[in-house]
Amino acid sequence: MTTPLTIKTREVDGVVVFDVDGEIRRSDAPQISLHGLVQSQLERGRRNVLLNLAGVGFIDSFGVGEILASYKSIQDLGGSFKLCKISDKLLLIFKITLLDKVLDIHESCDRALASFEKG
Amino acid sequence: MSDGRLERFLKRHGDVRGREYRSALALSGYFFLITAVFYILKPVKESLLIGSRPSWWPYADLVSALLIGFVVAFNARLLDRLPRRTYLTASIFFFIASVLVFWYIFDIHWSGEVESPVADPTAILFMLWLRSAITYEFPVFVIAFCFWADVFIAMAVTQFWIAVNDVFHPHQAKRLVGLFVMGGLLGGIAGSGVAALATFAHVIRPENLLLAGPVLLVLALVTVNLVYSGQMKVDATAGDTRLASASRVGYLESFRAVRKDGYLLLLAGMLASAIAAGTLINYQFKTVVMSAFGDADDRTAFIALFFMVVLAVSTVFHVVTTGGVLKKYGIRWAISFAPAFLLLASASVFVIPAGLLLAWVLASRGGDKVFDNTLSQSVRELLYVPVRGEVKYQAKIFIDMFVNKFATGLGAGLFLLLFHLRQFDYRTDGPLAQVREIGLLVLVFLALWIVLTRLVYRRYPDVLKPEIRRRWVGGDTAIAEHVDVDLTMKVFNTIQSRERSTTIYLMNLFDLVGRSELTPDLKELLGIKRDEIRARGMDALLDVGGAGFFPGIEEVIDDPEVRREIDLIFLLPAYQEIMAKRLGEIVASPSVVDRIEAAKIIGRMVPNPPTLEALGRLLGDPASEVVLYALESAAVHRRPEHIPLILDLLGSPMTRAEARTALAAYGPSLVDLVAPALRDETLSPEIRRAVPEVLARIGTQRAAEVLLSEIARRRDGMEQALVDALYKIRAERPEVRFRKKDVRPEVLCLVRNCCNLVLEPSGAAESAEAALSLRLKRAFDLMTLMYPAEDVVRAYQNLQRGTPKAVDYALEHLDTMLDRELKALLLPLVEDLPPGERAARLRRALRLK
Repeated sequence: MTTPLTIKTREVDGVVVFDVDGEIRRSDAPQISLHGLVQSQLERGRRNVLLNLAGVGFIDSFGVGEILASYKSIQDLGGSFKLCKISDKLLLIFKITLLDKVLDIHESCDRALASFEKG
Repeated sequence: MSDGRLERFLKRHGDVRGREYRSALALSGYFFLITAVFYILKPVKESLLIGSRPSWWPYADLVSALLIGFVVAFNARLLDRLPRRTYLTASIFFFIASVLVFWYIFDIHWSGEVESPVADPTAILFMLWLRSAITYEFPVFVIAFCFWADVFIAMAVTQFWIAVNDVFHPHQAKRLVGLFVMGGLLGGIAGSGVAALATFAHVIRPENLLLAGPVLLVLALVTVNLVYSGQMKVDATAGDTRLASASRVGYLESFRAVRKDGYLLLLAGMLASAIAAGTLINYQFKTVVMSAFGDADDRTAFIALFFMVVLAVSTVFHVVTTGGVLKKYGIRWAISFAPAFLLLASASVFVIPAGLLLAWVLASRGGDKVFDNTLSQSVRELLYVPVRGEVKYQAKIFIDMFVNKFATGLGAGLFLLLFHLRQFDYRTDGPLAQVREIGLLVLVFLALWIVLTRLVYRRYPDVLKPEIRRRWVGGDTAIAEHVDVDLTMKVFNTIQSRERSTTIYLMNLFDLVGRSELTPDLKELLGIKRDEIRARGMDALLDVGGAGFFPGIEEVIDDPEVRREIDLIFLLPAYQEIMAKRLGEIVASPSVVDRIEAAKIIGRMVPNPPTLEALGRLLGDPASEVVLYALESAAVHRRPEHIPLILDLLGSPMTRAEARTALAAYGPSLVDLVAPALRDETLSPEIRRAVPEVLARIGTQRAAEVLLSEIARRRDGMEQALVDALYKIRAERPEVRFRKKDVRPEVLCLVRNCCNLVLEPSGAAESAEAALSLRLKRAFDLMTLMYPAEDVVRAYQNLQRGTPKAVDYALEHLDTMLDRELKALLLPLVEDLPPGERAARLRRALRLK
């Protein structure tokens, strides 16, 4: 039984924080697109995004694709895309597949927020 | 005019911006004062030289050329040892003291008596000796004064431009150079005007004009100190290290610095050609003037008037052209105007009659001086600005003083050689023949000058580039540097397939092991390694219990014999016959797992009609996971009949990425098959927007042409996807060529849209700004097709996130790189301008009322 995906958006010191809950996976039911949300923030002029994955238990190849597409869109515009509170097991997969070399992953969301360039 | 009014005036008419107003004004004042001093001294110098024998003239130039090297060495040492402000102050004090000494000497010569300035009786003998020396060796003092005047103007002007380099960045300097040159021209007019009026009106004796020098130099001293004290405060708040990083090298190092740097060598060569040509033109002028004016007083008056007119014309020419030419044509053409004009003028001497010789020489020498005072000087100084700080100052001194005087000496030496070889003294064929013979040498140097201007301009952007480094790496590049995305996706799919079915898991595993790049960590992660079968977090992650699926699996799937056997089974006719029947049943099965297995295995089967028909049905399966595997198999078989089905799958975010990959696998033959989809209004916008990336992945010349012709249709909804695709091709396929005539209209259209966003903003200011930012990025991305991609990317990145200095260099680089129309539209969008001025400049560029 999969947990439906919910994403809440808030803003802290100019950084858009997406609090993700559920599983980021391919689904036949209509669901929120993480990349779509990121793009709408870019259209608002926001360039710094933090993805809080505290509530995420599972990510499949679709979810990885969404995360990488979000990273690419932000990076191309000179922004920063970071992840925080990723579970140990996901972190392990991310490390083995070298995704941690590309994505800026933080244990704590507060530290991740502090690491964004101000202004 | 009050401070505020003057500030507003300069901002409106001088393109002076923000806090640069005080420094710009003070530096213009500084240049005014030193030029005024020079043009007060110049008539005295000319008068003294004309009073000597004409054959002394070239020797005065040669002495300057020979001795200036020592001055350069000494000057470089001073620059090396002293803080900039102390250095400038000490130099000005030296000139004040020495001009007083020369005044004293000339005063003695003209008054014919020695008046001791001190009441010290022990100085009487010295004064007697001095009087005797001045009386009998006066030409030596004249040559010394000429040399001193050359040193003064060379050092004072060099120091002025050093101060400009200290205070301003290239793009700033280009805007303000007109103001500085205007200060110099007005100083020249004021100086020569004062000298002419005072001399003609017999208000003071000529040597007493020298006393105006110290007064004006004291004012210059105050002005330059004001500039540096103000600049230090600005730099302290901005954290700028320009002044702190003054170069610390000596004369030899400065020579080596020029010798090692190709750009500086070319710059030195260009300046030397220009000076040598100018020196020879000056001898043509002297030859004609001597022949036209026998009387020394008439000649002096004519020369004084000539300089007045030249300066007045220079001022008008400067107001009308310099700033405008630089803004409109940039350094590229501004650098060539002077040599081109002089080449035409000099060549015309071979066709004019003798009666027009005086008019011709006035045009030729006048043109040389006018350009030298205005456009050529501005461009020459601007060419130094982007040179690295540690090299710039020493190179500038070396080139401006040593190379300058060397070239003057070369011109003088060549004139002397020609004078003696062609026996000018004994010729009776008149000045025209002599001027033509000198003209041949002039043409050689002018031709060299033109060639060197082109070479210098070609190297100019390279000098700007080191300051414009990349600020960030593009998303695709950053990902590709560390991650094999295709492998990563397969790993995630394999892990996920554990929860679906052992068969799918094994099939995925079999595919993965076929790839040689599986690391031990990945094998562990996938549960392949027997010893690691109780995979720590993985079991928990996938909820499959603590045991591995198949002990010994590593040996089995790593065994090439086993892999070959499996491949042979797929090829067996009996297997194909059975599976052909079975596939139809599986595809219709209500079990998602069965359908996934079928979709997966079709990729390994022989593509016979039943198999392909089953694949077509699976591509339309309602379960996206089934479609995912069907797309993988479709990418293996690449059948044309599946293309419309795959195109449909571009519409769903769940299958879009895999559908793109499957279509891209078809290769170049797909381009013309999917091109119509870009314009097919019956397809959803999502499908149409996904097609450009498919074409970008194929990345052929034809794909680029299709994308470019589509962008020319200018449909807003497709613009981003098309630009992204073209940018990707440009970045990844350097062999693909784009014709400027196809790209330029689209870039201009995008930039015009940006202009319209500024002039007619819609919605909240924040969203309008964000929309403009995205559009600008699009325009820059498209510009990579017609200009060096890396240069465009760097310019964009520095405009977005660079330091003030980097932003200035990026602007200058764009100014150099872009064509006139594009520059006029784009620069106001990216420059830091007040909203009113931005709008006015955009309206002008768009030719709007």
